[in-house]
Amino acid sequence: MITMNDFLIVSAALFCIGLFMLVSKRNAIQILIGIELMLNAAILNLVAFGKFDRFANGGQMFALFAIVLAAATTAVALAIILNVYRRYKTIDPAKVDKLRD
Amino acid sequence: MNTAIPYQDITIVYYALAAVLLPFAAFLVNICLPGKRNSVSGWVSTLAILISVVLSATVFAQVWNKPQLHVQQLWFTIGATKLYAGVLLNNLSVLMLLLVSLIALPVHIYSTAYMKYDESYKRYFTYLSLFCFSMLALVVVDNLILFYAFWELVGFSSYLLIGFWFTKTKAMQANKKAFIMNRIGDVGLLMAIMILFSVFHTFDIEKILAWVNLSQHASNGWLSPNANGWIVPGISYQLPAIWQYIAVGGIFLAVAAKSAQFPLHTWLPDAMEGPTSVSALIHAATMVAAGVFLLGRVYPLFNTAELNILAVIGCFTAFMAATIALTQNDLKRILAYSTISQLGYMTMAMGIGAYSSSLFHLVTHAFFKCLLFLVAGIVIHQMQHIKEENDLDIDPQNILHMGGLRKKLPLTFIAAVIGAVALIGLPLTSGYLSKDGILVQAFEWSDGKSLIYRLIPVGALVTSLLTAFYVARLIVKVFFGEFRLQKANPHIKIHCGDGGWQYTLPLGLLAVYCIFPWFSLNPFIYEHAWVLNGFNISDYLERINIYHTIIPVGITILNVFVIYFAYAIYVKRNSYTFPQTGLLFKLSYHEWYIDKIYNSIIVQPVLAISRSASWVDKNIIDGFINLLKNTVLILSNITAWIDKYIIDGLLHLLTSITLGIGNFARNFQSGKIQYYLFSMLAIILAVFIWFLI
Repeated sequence: MITMNDFLIVSAALFCIGLFMLVSKRNAIQILIGIELMLNAAILNLVAFGKFDRFANGGQMFALFAIVLAAATTAVALAIILNVYRRYKTIDPAKVDKLRD
Repeated sequence: MNTAIPYQDITIVYYALAAVLLPFAAFLVNICLPGKRNSVSGWVSTLAILISVVLSATVFAQVWNKPQLHVQQLWFTIGATKLYAGVLLNNLSVLMLLLVSLIALPVHIYSTAYMKYDESYKRYFTYLSLFCFSMLALVVVDNLILFYAFWELVGFSSYLLIGFWFTKTKAMQANKKAFIMNRIGDVGLLMAIMILFSVFHTFDIEKILAWVNLSQHASNGWLSPNANGWIVPGISYQLPAIWQYIAVGGIFLAVAAKSAQFPLHTWLPDAMEGPTSVSALIHAATMVAAGVFLLGRVYPLFNTAELNILAVIGCFTAFMAATIALTQNDLKRILAYSTISQLGYMTMAMGIGAYSSSLFHLVTHAFFKCLLFLVAGIVIHQMQHIKEENDLDIDPQNILHMGGLRKKLPLTFIAAVIGAVALIGLPLTSGYLSKDGILVQAFEWSDGKSLIYRLIPVGALVTSLLTAFYVARLIVKVFFGEFRLQKANPHIKIHCGDGGWQYTLPLGLLAVYCIFPWFSLNPFIYEHAWVLNGFNISDYLERINIYHTIIPVGITILNVFVIYFAYAIYVKRNSYTFPQTGLLFKLSYHEWYIDKIYNSIIVQPVLAISRSASWVDKNIIDGFINLLKNTVLILSNITAWIDKYIIDGLLHLLTSITLGIGNFARNFQSGKIQYYLFSMLAIILAVFIWFLI
């Protein structure tokens, strides 16, 4: 029987992996993937909690909503990365530091 | 004042003014001419002076022995005092006007040749015209202010001419000396003018003399006229006698400086540094005559005691200068001392009351002294040529190198002999007439006075004999015997001659004027000279006693004897030569040590004072200022240090603290997104850990 804790452990693991990618990767796409991982961890949490709260399937609904939003943000983020590449010929976020003081 | 003058008279005044102003016009034209050696300038000046001569002669013919002409114009007004500028033409001024222009003409002609190769030919004639203008103006002006102005101008232009070769140190020294000595006289004249004005409230010479005459009739001193121009004895203000003496003393100083009388004579020999033609002009008619002319103008100011002093000083000057001239070797210096000596005669003549004889001597002396100087100029010029052609190291003015020049310069020799004979005063010359007049009157003057007064005529007599000796020595050494330079250097080549008409014409003109008929038809009796009869101030013209016969004859015999004596010594050398080591020789050779005395008692102390003043200035006043400066410098350094390290340091500390904080804060703004994220994470973790523990 898969318990609530198992879900939460997987979710926390996913979140931690995403966070590590976010901090450590040298490629904006990979960072984006990290963000997706973190989002999915959160969604997993929503779904997991929704499983134990049968009332109106609020958890699943909210998860769907979040998936759609994530897709939208990913699109925007990809567009930004594309523009950054056009301007700087690189997508290493460490090298894109024009906003520095 | 000029309303009542008839037309013809005013024309004469205009002629006189034109005669005066023409050289000034030449001066202005010459200034404007281009080039340094513009040969036009010489002819401009000469033409101007030629017209001046003609005009002066016309004026002279119209005014001489006729009533004087006095034209005035209101010049300016100060308070209640009206100042008139005008022209006073009387016998004295027209005589001087004619004399000055007549002397200046040959000098101008001579100069066109003499200065031909000079680099500053134009400047020479510019100055010469200014000089003539000043002197001509000096003799015709009627008030003391203008007189003083032109007096100064004469001094100034002579200063320019004496220092004409201003690259020569000696010339610079000489013109400085002349100028400074003349300043002493100028101060005297200025004092006299101020005192006269304070008494008589006018600068008009004629009025002053009239009032002096009136007040001397009324009382002993000078009385000040009241507003109506009246003098009331006992009521009018009387000038204290001391001031009268100061005024007359001032005039005497002025005369002594300009006419080279005893205390102030030393500038004249040094003035020989100028071109010889200028020396001729200075010595004959312009500069030195100004002093005697001043005496003639203001003669009535002098009282008997003052005249006696004048006579003593004149006589002493004449004697001293004659003794100095005996031993000098420089051709021009001998002539310079002879000028001083003759001026001494004139001053002495003024002092003994021989007013017209003094002026007569001034006139005759002008001609023969000018002649002698022009002769000297030619001789020096020729010597200079010989020196340059043969590359010799000699002084071209030293008479010891000359000799036998009569064969080489025949016309010059004749002119020189005429001039010399006139200077000695042998019969048939003009000098005989004027000099014997003075001597006779000197003897008459001392008659009936105490024995000490006899010294003056005796001194004059001795001076006359000394004159004969040194003039004879000069002529013999220059023109007779053998040419000593050739004797010493047998191989030298000599080309010399009298020179062109520009040299010989002036000599001829002047030589002619040295002969008697121009002055008196009777060559032996000076009393017939027309110049003497033109002045009515007390004179002894009647042949009242034996002096009038015995003195001229006696002097002539003595002079001839002295001349023969000189000739015998210097040409034949058959009698003894003079010892050159005696005290008297040294005294004479060193010009009575007067220059040395002046140098040690005036020049050196003045230099010492100025040196010590300079020392005080340099060490004490400058030292004090330096001390102040250093104090201020140290104070400001301290202030600067405080400013730099304390006030600025505080500010720098503030800024560096701010900067440090800023930089510290800035470190976080690395522009790296992941770094931000990481730090955010770290902070959140820290906060969580903080709250959990």
